Amino acid sequence: MINVYEAASANKRKSAVIIVLFIIFVTVSVYILSQAMGVYFGYEPGGLGAAGIALIISGFMSFGSYYYSDKIVLSISGAKEADRNEFFNFYTAAENLAIGGGLPKPKLYVIDDSAPNAFATGRDPEHAVICATTGLIAKLNKSELEGVIAHELSHIKNYDIRLMSIVSVLVGTIALLADFFLRMSFHGGRRDRKSGQLGAVILVLGLIFAIASPIIAQLIQLAVSRRREFFADAHAIAFTRQPSGLISALNKISADHEPLEAANKATAHLYIANPFKDKIKSSVSWFSNLFNTHPPIEERIAALEKMA
Amino acid sequence: MPLILIGILAVLVIWVFTTYNFFVSSRARIKAAVQEIGNQLKRQADLIPNLESSTKGYLKHEKKIFADLTDARRAIASAVKSGDVQKMADAGSQLASILPSIRVAVEDNPELKASEVVTKLMDELRDTADKVMYARRLVIDLTADFNVKRVSVPSNIVANIFKFIELPGLITPEKGEHVEVGSGETKTPKVNLE
Repeated sequence: MINVYEAASANKRKSAVIIVLFIIFVTVSVYILSQAMGVYFGYEPGGLGAAGIALIISGFMSFGSYYYSDKIVLSISGAKEADRNEFFNFYTAAENLAIGGGLPKPKLYVIDDSAPNAFATGRDPEHAVICATTGLIAKLNKSELEGVIAHELSHIKNYDIRLMSIVSVLVGTIALLADFFLRMSFHGGRRDRKSGQLGAVILVLGLIFAIASPIIAQLIQLAVSRRREFFADAHAIAFTRQPSGLISALNKISADHEPLEAANKATAHLYIANPFKDKIKSSVSWFSNLFNTHPPIEERIAALEKMA
Repeated sequence: MPLILIGILAVLVIWVFTTYNFFVSSRARIKAAVQEIGNQLKRQADLIPNLESSTKGYLKHEKKIFADLTDARRAIASAVKSGDVQKMADAGSQLASILPSIRVAVEDNPELKASEVVTKLMDELRDTADKVMYARRLVIDLTADFNVKRVSVPSNIVANIFKFIELPGLITPEKGEHVEVGSGETKTPKVNLE
């Protein structure tokens, strides 16, 4: 049986480990790809300029979506603002938990869909948005609703949206760099490129990385996303001081097999439970779980019950 | 060589600044959180006249409840004015102790129970009680963070240099019946659902 603070610190440590590994991986990939491009084009230190360009492009592409994340996601999902009288429990639970967490009250929206789910977005706590489906509000009681809202508030408080945006910028950089390298290889380089054993090795490494690193980077991004989900669960308990609300809410959400119509692949990672209800219980489930933005609900419930 | 020493010194100075800033900003946040308690208490107290006017016709004989409510309102107003967190906590508890009897009186009266206005008011009353609870929890949490940092190594070095004292937060007596479990309470209660 572990307490809330230990659970939260354990998650913080594990996510720090993953992020450090991710940064090391990104650095190594960028270095190798740049060196390979340099060998190909016959100059040293290599294509660091290309890396810079890739970073800038990737940054621009992601910046808009991060900065305006609240407006974009809401317009995609067809959400409308939550009325206090109509959704009293949802509204007051969010208000109260925000007070308890020392956060400004986030803007609240509702999606008209009977599938129970919720998400949070926004670049910082002052611009935060929490959105729930009418199905969630109808199917959960007050304490379960508090658990879900506390989970979303934890994402906001821990700047998870910002973290995932930065991670996706880095993933995008690697994907672009790899793309540059592979395209350039087809167009041919300068005639007087530096050849020799080292050059050949670097070229081969560059090729391997160009093919493998976008996938590996994406897998690490998904691992970060899963770890932050565990962290948000643990932190939610720090808000509500009792795990049973969230445990019972997760049970109810996982028992419901209806897919959420408003969600698409781009927004799936923001929701509290994977809106695409593919539960693959077979020998390949470990592998397919690597591509999941959320940890399996059974694991999340098990982790929460350790604190109960 | 001297460059490395300057680098280390710079890191140390930045660390001292950051830790000191944490302590002073924490104190300011705690002060703001105490004001939040006062804010929520005031909101709670403001609901009472509404409750009185909509229920007085039906609860004419419940004179004690209304007298208690007026006392509680007065206590809250003076506590919020004083800004003393302990007084506010006590005033809040005073009002919270009357709420159950109001609820019982409303439930016992079929006309009140059916009235939408009164039901909504009771919901709002319960919500304000929740809000006071969360406001108090925030003070407790912020004070805990402050006190933990104050005694942990290495931030306690900064704390001692600048003489930050332990903050009391919300004073709960550490001895007393609320932290003791009587032998009767350890037995499973028998519920009679007749």
